Amino acid sequence: MACRRIGSNRRTLSPASSINCVNSLASSIRTHSICMVSDFFYPNMGGVESHIYQLSQCLIERGHKVIIVTHAYGNRKGIRYLTNGLKVYYLPLKVMYNQSTATTLFHSLPLLRYIFVRERVTIVHSHSSFSSMAHDALFHAKTMGLQTVFTDHSLFGFADVSSVLTNKLLTVSLCDTNHIICVSYTSKENTVLRAALNPEIVSVIPNAVDPTDFTPDPSRRDDNTVTVVVVSRLVYRKGIDLLSGIIPELCQKYPALHFLVGGEGPKRIVLEEVRERYQLHDRVRLLGALEHQHVRNVLVQGHIFLNTSLTEAFCMAIVEAASCGLQVVSTRVGGIPEVLPENLIILCEPSVKSLCDGLEKAVAQIRAGTLPTPETIHNKVKTFYTWRNVAERTAKVYDRVADEAVLPMDKRLDRLVSHCGTVTGYIFALFAVLSFLFLVFLRWMSPDSSIDVAVDATGPNGAWTQQYFPGKKGHEREKISNC
Amino acid sequence: VCAQVEASSGRRWQKVLYERQPFPDNYVDHRFLEELRKNIYARKYQYWAVVFESGVVIQQLCSVCVFVVIWWYMDEGLLTPQWLFGAGLASSLIGYILFDLIDLGAGRKESGRTRWADLKSTLVFIAFTYGFSPVLKTLTESVSTDTIYAMSALMLLGHLIFFDYGANAAIVSSTLSLNMAIFASVCLASRLPRSLHTFAMVTFAIQSFALWPMLQKKLKAQTPCCYVGVTLLFALSALVGLLTISGVAAILFALLLLSISCLCPYCLIWLQLFKDNIHGPWDEAEIKDDLSRFLM
Repeated sequence: MACRRIGSNRRTLSPASSINCVNSLASSIRTHSICMVSDFFYPNMGGVESHIYQLSQCLIERGHKVIIVTHAYGNRKGIRYLTNGLKVYYLPLKVMYNQSTATTLFHSLPLLRYIFVRERVTIVHSHSSFSSMAHDALFHAKTMGLQTVFTDHSLFGFADVSSVLTNKLLTVSLCDTNHIICVSYTSKENTVLRAALNPEIVSVIPNAVDPTDFTPDPSRRDDNTVTVVVVSRLVYRKGIDLLSGIIPELCQKYPALHFLVGGEGPKRIVLEEVRERYQLHDRVRLLGALEHQHVRNVLVQGHIFLNTSLTEAFCMAIVEAASCGLQVVSTRVGGIPEVLPENLIILCEPSVKSLCDGLEKAVAQIRAGTLPTPETIHNKVKTFYTWRNVAERTAKVYDRVADEAVLPMDKRLDRLVSHCGTVTGYIFALFAVLSFLFLVFLRWMSPDSSIDVAVDATGPNGAWTQQYFPGKKGHEREKISNC
Repeated sequence: VCAQVEASSGRRWQKVLYERQPFPDNYVDHRFLEELRKNIYARKYQYWAVVFESGVVIQQLCSVCVFVVIWWYMDEGLLTPQWLFGAGLASSLIGYILFDLIDLGAGRKESGRTRWADLKSTLVFIAFTYGFSPVLKTLTESVSTDTIYAMSALMLLGHLIFFDYGANAAIVSSTLSLNMAIFASVCLASRLPRSLHTFAMVTFAIQSFALWPMLQKKLKAQTPCCYVGVTLLFALSALVGLLTISGVAAILFALLLLSISCLCPYCLIWLQLFKDNIHGPWDEAEIKDDLSRFLM
């Protein structure tokens, strides 16, 4: 409880919830008030979105208070409550490009400050380097003297102009952030290089999958054929061009080989052309866009899972497939070699030849019956990555961060100037000063003391679960997956 | 937990995520960044090779210079259109013969184009330009001369920027480059006294911006020695032409050419020392296969 420093002196809620919380969990666990910020959240679908949701749920389970801040998605604006009283703020900010909001470093300060104050946030945890709202929130949190954590979900190159600029911005954004989390060791190396960081303040905490969602079902397979499943967005970065070379090559060689492709994207046309050209309509099925809850039903129909990505920080897809008991064949790029042990994955170079060799090896193993059964694979994989473990390790990061001192203004300016190069450093130091003055103005306009404290809804004994939905967990979860 | 740490204290850290390792999450092993590679695709440049390659830029600058000088001569009345057209026709003919001689007709066989087709397109082009030259002459009458000059300068600059110097870059567009040059020539030609002038000027523009670079390219590929000679001669004639108009301009132009052909290659090689390009497992993989063969 010690970490709810701001909230502890004028808590409006009954203290009963916190006492119960201590009883139900080990008393050594410290709880924090965490605000997750990212442009990417449900109803948008993707790895970052589910990461934030699952991590928040597990943190709530551990007794932390968690809220999520994202931008409005069409009609969905204002405040929504998800399972276990997880509160989501959909802020009315303008979306610029690819679901990312515009950034001016200033315009979101009034709103975010109001939320941070009324929710008594102690740690701001931003997600994804593509999200400008995440960077804005980090900037404001530092100005307000809150602890900051950042999770990087993606890899970036160094060679072209766009990455040079983005990396510079990342350097500025992360130079005074307390702690950074990466999803794989390769991602850590990448982030440390991109943002010129001290590797000691970068933790590696992998993503996870819910193993109960991805269970094998061998009865759904057709054992007269060998089915290769591909589930990914059909875009260049996922190596769909390679797939368009693999399909004709292997279909000519193995008459009993079928392909099942789930996902949608601009490269679908390439696959359609290949299917047309080689008359493979009965053997190559393109399922189009898949909702996340249907992925498992597609996966269990196959024997082999093929991933042709050209770059990948972690790759949840291969873990999901392995959890469904499929033999995984994948390109050796990014963090993929770290994800699964060698006996569960066949790694190939990103070329048609190498991937075909890998698939042939997998087919030969299936024919010879030397592969472990789907159940054995599932039982093994389900021990690797769990959200509870992720939450536990993330909570350790919060504990560590909570003990650190937030850089005072003068040190922060020093850090900016010394870390980010002279020109950029001075520009952003000026921004930091301006944003501080803006904050002082806002504090004068509406003092912290005049901002109401929000109802503390989260946690197993939070107000929300106790008062409104006794024993109705999972209700909102259904709601979210339906919309 | 303690026993586990003790038992595995001798264990080495592995770069894997699926195993719980007895190290903190922010542990930094000595193998951290061991797969980092630097400058693996960096090219080693030879000074004279770069100077040779800079010839293309020199050529194009000189083409523009010669074009403007000729226009000035026409505008001042020092050069008659008949003379320009005759000289242009003669040099085009020589160039045409050379074009086939250099590679002994190999390029012609490959393209499968007959001489009759060449003659036809030449005649069509000349006839149309001649027929439309009065229109071109009066086309820009309502536009002020200053605007025309500014526009021509801009277009010629654009021609130089977008010209295909052999670099594989997104900005390169030979169509756009040629169009800009022709646009500039039409603009300038419309300021000449008579429509015959306009006709001669536009024909000359086609010769110097469309046909001449084609010959250049072939010359460079087949006979590099001749190419160097031709480039030097061309640069010299452009300088002399400019000198007859303005001494200062000629000196500035000479300095520009010198800096491009001698100083810039030196800078390029010197700056290679500061190249710090990092590669590692996080780089996006490149597809090296030729995938179009699957769709043929």
